[in-house]
Amino acid sequence: MLPALLTILLVALFPLLWTLWESLHLHDLRMPWLGKPFIGLDNYVEAFSDPRFWGALGHTVFFAVTSVGLELVIGLWLALALNRAFRGRGLVRASVLVPWAIPTVVSALLWRFMFEGQYGIVNEALVGLGLLPEPVVWFIRPMAAWVPVILADVWKTTPFVALLLLAGLQNIDASLYEAARIDGASAWRQFRYVTLPLLKPAILVALIFRTLDAFRVFDLIYALTGGGPGTATEPIALYTFNVLLQNLEFGYGSALSVIVFLITFGLALLYIRFLGAELTGAQR
Amino acid sequence: MVLGACGGASSNAGPAVVTFPISALGAEGEVLERQLSRFMAANPGIKVVQRITPDAADQKHQLYVQWLNAGASDPDILQLDVIWTPEFAAAGWILPLNQFGPDTAAFFPSTIVANQWQDSLYALPWFIDVGMLYWRTDLMASAPVTYAELTRESQRAQRARRLRYGYVWQGARYEGLVVNFLEYLGAHGGRILDRGQVVVNSAEGLRALSEMRDEIYRHGVVPSSVLTWHEEESRFAFQNGEAAFMRNWPYPVPLMQDSAESRVAGKFSVAPLPAGPGGRPTSAIGGAQLAINRRTEHPEAAWAVINYLTQPEQMRERARVVGQFPTRPGVYDDPELASGLAIPPATVRRIIEYAVPRPVTPVYTQLSEILQIHLHRALTRQAEPAAALGRAQAEMQRVLNRAGLGTGAPVARR
Repeated sequence: MLPALLTILLVALFPLLWTLWESLHLHDLRMPWLGKPFIGLDNYVEAFSDPRFWGALGHTVFFAVTSVGLELVIGLWLALALNRAFRGRGLVRASVLVPWAIPTVVSALLWRFMFEGQYGIVNEALVGLGLLPEPVVWFIRPMAAWVPVILADVWKTTPFVALLLLAGLQNIDASLYEAARIDGASAWRQFRYVTLPLLKPAILVALIFRTLDAFRVFDLIYALTGGGPGTATEPIALYTFNVLLQNLEFGYGSALSVIVFLITFGLALLYIRFLGAELTGAQR
Repeated sequence: MVLGACGGASSNAGPAVVTFPISALGAEGEVLERQLSRFMAANPGIKVVQRITPDAADQKHQLYVQWLNAGASDPDILQLDVIWTPEFAAAGWILPLNQFGPDTAAFFPSTIVANQWQDSLYALPWFIDVGMLYWRTDLMASAPVTYAELTRESQRAQRARRLRYGYVWQGARYEGLVVNFLEYLGAHGGRILDRGQVVVNSAEGLRALSEMRDEIYRHGVVPSSVLTWHEEESRFAFQNGEAAFMRNWPYPVPLMQDSAESRVAGKFSVAPLPAGPGGRPTSAIGGAQLAINRRTEHPEAAWAVINYLTQPEQMRERARVVGQFPTRPGVYDDPELASGLAIPPATVRRIIEYAVPRPVTPVYTQLSEILQIHLHRALTRQAEPAAALGRAQAEMQRVLNRAGLGTGAPVARR
């Protein structure tokens, strides 16, 4: 027991405490002549007055809400479809998972390639179908650049959400639908009053996983837009990476890391409270 | 053991081993291999060991910083990007070379300036890259010398020859954007940094940035997609015959002369970049420098290697085999050079004489990152040029002051 605890302490807590300690110093590897003085909470004060930090936080929230929202809706629809009995269901279920199996960087580059340039596949298709009057250079417009980012994320992770929800659907007792039907409930009312309430735990699990993931989004945007144009699609993890590993500002970068950690940790706690209540509620 | 006092004669312990991290592949690696074995044959007291490092500048930089920050005495010799020299010098990671009596007068002055920090030389320029104007000899009789002319020629070629693009450069948000901007800025008579003072937010800066923006949105000669392009994307466009002009480094010349790959083989030439009103043609300097790790145990031996590799004979060989431009003007008078370079040596020399270093400061990378963001915002029309330059200047000055390098009152942190 004790060795296990010690290991956990060492593996989980030590890096965290080290980062915390770093974040209280001015430590800039590229300015060694400044030394490494203790500066208290100055790095945090600086973060809160740094417009690029707030911008990055805003982009992260925007990305998380939009992509997770879409994934949930499409994932639920997909799960309902897959829950029906039809021929070749096993094959369809497996093939739905293909985007999820592709490494994020690869799929990011795929999407980048499709959207890139004035003569990319997407532009050709949209102009050909008459949906766009002329080609758009997606990656130089702050809002347009989000389109491939969010599409790529939705494409990749909706299958994961769908499978989680499918597992939840299969846990619902079929007799409940039978009873509802006998009582004359329409398909919508069955969905609204049987499926949704009983699916809530599964939805919450999917939400936890996806929001926490979305909040830490890095590789997808790094490979797709690099955070551009300007910093219009830069999420907080990418900004932290730039500060830490490009600029080698260990003190300030550590402060940013701590802030990201606190936010995701807070989110997780919030969800766990909800989920816990939900589970005990279901037991009653 | 008798140490040090007699000046590095470590003959009792066999040859002095000097390590040299290198990322040269193919022909470039072979030339270096040959030169180093010649050197070792002539200097049996010194053994040079090569060590392979990543080719990507960012990764190499990160690796060097880790080594040097940890106080490692190995590697002894460092191959630096031109913008790293002041950073490493100020950090106390590399040796001043003045003690070895380098013949600085024999190099292009701009390449020496780029490698100086606080009046000492810290690295010796090995070969030089410069920005140049590629133009199509089948579309016009001579290269434009002003941006106004370039715009006119572009529009004419786009109309008459149905060319997709007029002029292409590198406008993605990366170091290349600052390089391109610096060239426009010099062409309009402006500068980024004046000692400890950021001066990019000036009438000249505004004219330069507005010129770049107007070429895209007003004159329609530069495609807005250049704002996502690096060197290779512009090369593909020019090489496919889609553009009348291109700004690029020298490396595409031999590639585009290959008619199997290129549609413009035999149809292009290079010239100095154009000038704007109030300035002169300006090319940014790139290329490689050689420096010595301050913790090295064999400073004399390391210097001997660097000194040997930067001799005219070695530069001529590099130029002949891999087409890299020598950093000594004297070498250009040699008729033999013409057979090695894809461009007439006189043209190359003229372009190099217009070359300026990027701001020579230990915090260049940080300044560049700020500038990249604000330039890209202005060019993608998220901000007006004047506002973008104003914010860039304020943020850059804050970094300088924090580093203790600004002329303004020292600010504690940002």
